[in-house]
Amino acid sequence: MKVAQRLKQSRELGILLILVVVSIVITLVAPAFFSIENLFDILKSNVVLAIMAIGMLPVILTGGIDVSVSSMVAAVTIIVGKFLMNVSGNIFLAFLVGCLSGTIMGLINGLLVAKLKIPPIVATLGTMSIILGVSLYYTNGNWITGLPKNFIDFGRITIGSFYRQGEEMIGFPIQLLFLILVAVLTWFILRHTLVGRGIYAVGGNRVSAERVGYNVDRITIFLYAYEGFIVGLAGVVHTSIMRQVDPNAFNGFEMQVISAVVLGGASSLGGYGSVSGTLVGVALFSVINNGLILMHIPTFWQKIVVGIVLIASIGFDVTQKRYRESHNTKVDIEEA
Amino acid sequence: MQFCHAVFLAHFVYLNVLLCAFTVPENRVTLPLQIKNLIIDTQERTPMNPNAFLQISHVSKTFPGVKALQDISLEINRGEIHALIGENGAGKSTLIKILSGVYQPDPGAEISIDGKRCSQITPLLALKKGIVVIYQDFSLFPNESVAENIAITTDIEKGTKFLSWKKIRSTAKAALDRLGVELDLDAPLGTLSVAKQQLVAIARALTFDAKLLIMDEPTSALSKSEVELLFRIMRTLRESGISILFISHKLDEVMAISDRFSILRDGKYLGTFGGDELDNDILISLMVGRKIEYTIYQKHNRANAGKVLELKDFNKAGNFKNISFHLNKGEILGITGLVGAGRTEILKAIYGINHQDTGQLFLDGRKITITSAEDAVRHGIAYMPENRLSEGLVLRKTMADNITVTVVDRLKTKSKLIDRTKQKELVDKWIHELNIKPPYPDMSASKLSGGNQQRVVLAKWLAVNPKVLLVDEPTNGIDIGAKAEIHKLLRDLAESGISIILVSSELSEILAIADRILVMRRGKIAGEFDGATATQEEIMNKAILGVKQPVTA
Repeated sequence: MKVAQRLKQSRELGILLILVVVSIVITLVAPAFFSIENLFDILKSNVVLAIMAIGMLPVILTGGIDVSVSSMVAAVTIIVGKFLMNVSGNIFLAFLVGCLSGTIMGLINGLLVAKLKIPPIVATLGTMSIILGVSLYYTNGNWITGLPKNFIDFGRITIGSFYRQGEEMIGFPIQLLFLILVAVLTWFILRHTLVGRGIYAVGGNRVSAERVGYNVDRITIFLYAYEGFIVGLAGVVHTSIMRQVDPNAFNGFEMQVISAVVLGGASSLGGYGSVSGTLVGVALFSVINNGLILMHIPTFWQKIVVGIVLIASIGFDVTQKRYRESHNTKVDIEEA
Repeated sequence: MQFCHAVFLAHFVYLNVLLCAFTVPENRVTLPLQIKNLIIDTQERTPMNPNAFLQISHVSKTFPGVKALQDISLEINRGEIHALIGENGAGKSTLIKILSGVYQPDPGAEISIDGKRCSQITPLLALKKGIVVIYQDFSLFPNESVAENIAITTDIEKGTKFLSWKKIRSTAKAALDRLGVELDLDAPLGTLSVAKQQLVAIARALTFDAKLLIMDEPTSALSKSEVELLFRIMRTLRESGISILFISHKLDEVMAISDRFSILRDGKYLGTFGGDELDNDILISLMVGRKIEYTIYQKHNRANAGKVLELKDFNKAGNFKNISFHLNKGEILGITGLVGAGRTEILKAIYGINHQDTGQLFLDGRKITITSAEDAVRHGIAYMPENRLSEGLVLRKTMADNITVTVVDRLKTKSKLIDRTKQKELVDKWIHELNIKPPYPDMSASKLSGGNQQRVVLAKWLAVNPKVLLVDEPTNGIDIGAKAEIHKLLRDLAESGISIILVSSELSEILAIADRILVMRRGKIAGEFDGATATQEEIMNKAILGVKQPVTA
């Protein structure tokens, strides 16, 4: 009974339900949607979005935001591409370099927000612009192509191939492993470490978090650095899928990442959200995207739909909070 | 021996309250001599009481321009429930902040905890010694589970990196068991009632190994049956040797639960008494006392001038109930009562920023609806909020900009820009009329003194020529001279035909300038008095006791 009640209150379940309904509707209109090819295509083309959304989740949980992720991930792909071309084709080292450069950029964001007390949106807008500028200066906007063969082969590995489509076997792309890794790691941090609970506490009630002894600055720095680490990983994963580097591939990508997290039920005011919800949010986002294409609806509708859903969900949070505040009991009325 | 002493004291106090009621002239500022003796007497008691957990003496706290506490002494025994009572602004919160290490007292204070002298209390030391404060907002996390809210602090304290939910749950369960209550450990805190959230906060305090629990108005948001549960738990804690110091305004509750209580008045310590030593009337006289006297203005009965504003049966859940009253033309209607009685909420309802659930508002006999501040201003109603710094002024802007912010519409030129000459004329007029000092329109509002800031706020509202002026605690935190001038200003405004509702906690202020006085208590109007004849004692009586209702547990 208790479990049933809690499930009823769970936002994640509600979003999952929406996902199911949306999927059914799309399948009815465009049966091609529910084919294994298409579903695996959705999976592979949104792995990077999913990884980055999970990286964004802790930031949103504290009530912050990071708009620099698109620039950061683009910069990482450039660094990794140059590294693979000019230094070493070692895949392990490529991941190391990618994660390290991401972490450093994230650390800078964290220090700006925690130590200089710059509002997250302003701090990350600044770093976004700087990183983008440096990237374009460095690459002149040119693509990096001709990556080492071993790296390209790595990106093509599939696991548990089970379905034949023409000459190719369809299976789970290796990139999915990284998503699983990031999801499990982030879930573990959020659920089972003090810093993870601190992230929720800061988002739920910053003053109380300080009062009960959480080191709010350290938590903030950690979560931006951790996000950078994940963005770094996402950059390498992206390169392994695309097999080339386009410095402009991620323009505007931050909005997709943030939208997916918010669609996944995370409160834009902080304090509420989960890894599972974020994954469902990404799925919903990609399914809407894919479904509109299959149904031959112009893609700008996708932007409009996501925008509406986004405003609706944030609007819901804010009005609910305002309602609660205006209906707070301020006076203990004496009942005669 | 001690018993005799106590009885002797009690009689002494009783006697001299009677005495002072009849013999001390109205305009005396000083405390009655006998109470002075009483204070000295308590201070000279031997400092080493083996049963005391906490002893403080000579504790004073000075803020710029205000002596918040003067030479306070207090003793809290092990395993006792000790109430701290006094009027609004008597210094209770300041004292609590000193005990928990948030504020440092002025030099010369002596504090000992558990028989050991402490040179100073820091927040960390307070926690280590087992002094835990439960704030009115509880400092809990609404989205997290009950278990986490109770037990996470022990992990924070130990710096545990990886959490064991099993341990968190068992710690939480143990703490709740000590209280003898059962709560769903996994429920998100936000789904619990305020009373249950409070239990969670208390349970959390127990995980700190609390020896002294300090609670700020613990019953203010609880229903009667919830208060009884809280009292039962307080007694359970007392039996396990924990001391409880709590602030309360509700004397009936204080009487029901406390072993002893201490009274503060105007930052001074008036003594500590046993639960059965005094009755309500004496208590109230002690709390009110004789305070700073203001010029008492001539009061008028404006009943014939006609009703300007009338409220009929205003209700808002959790704010106020069955509120009906009217405001006559050119009258100052004082509304007083304790903090949390619903006074500010009513003002905000009239002004349209805290909309009532039900109730009708009449202006000059016509029914009007106000749903926003804009509506209110259009109807000629102005509101000076309690916190002039956060709600009344734009501190970074100049005095001129602040004064004219309400009338920008009228200052526009044809090209929709602000007419600076017109603005200057208007600003100069108000600076002159309200005697704002220094008279520099371009000075930033943040640089003015409190009294002059308040005048700027007043000017801003007078610029719209209001019919009705709502003022909330207009003299809060400004010095006595400035207070007297604000009083004169308000009185002059009333004489010029503006009708004023004045909310104030300071009884002497209300008595000095209000023509008619309403007393609120727990969201309702508890009584009405004529400003010319009312006394502090009868007002306080209404504000605190209302209908007498003994609390039993």
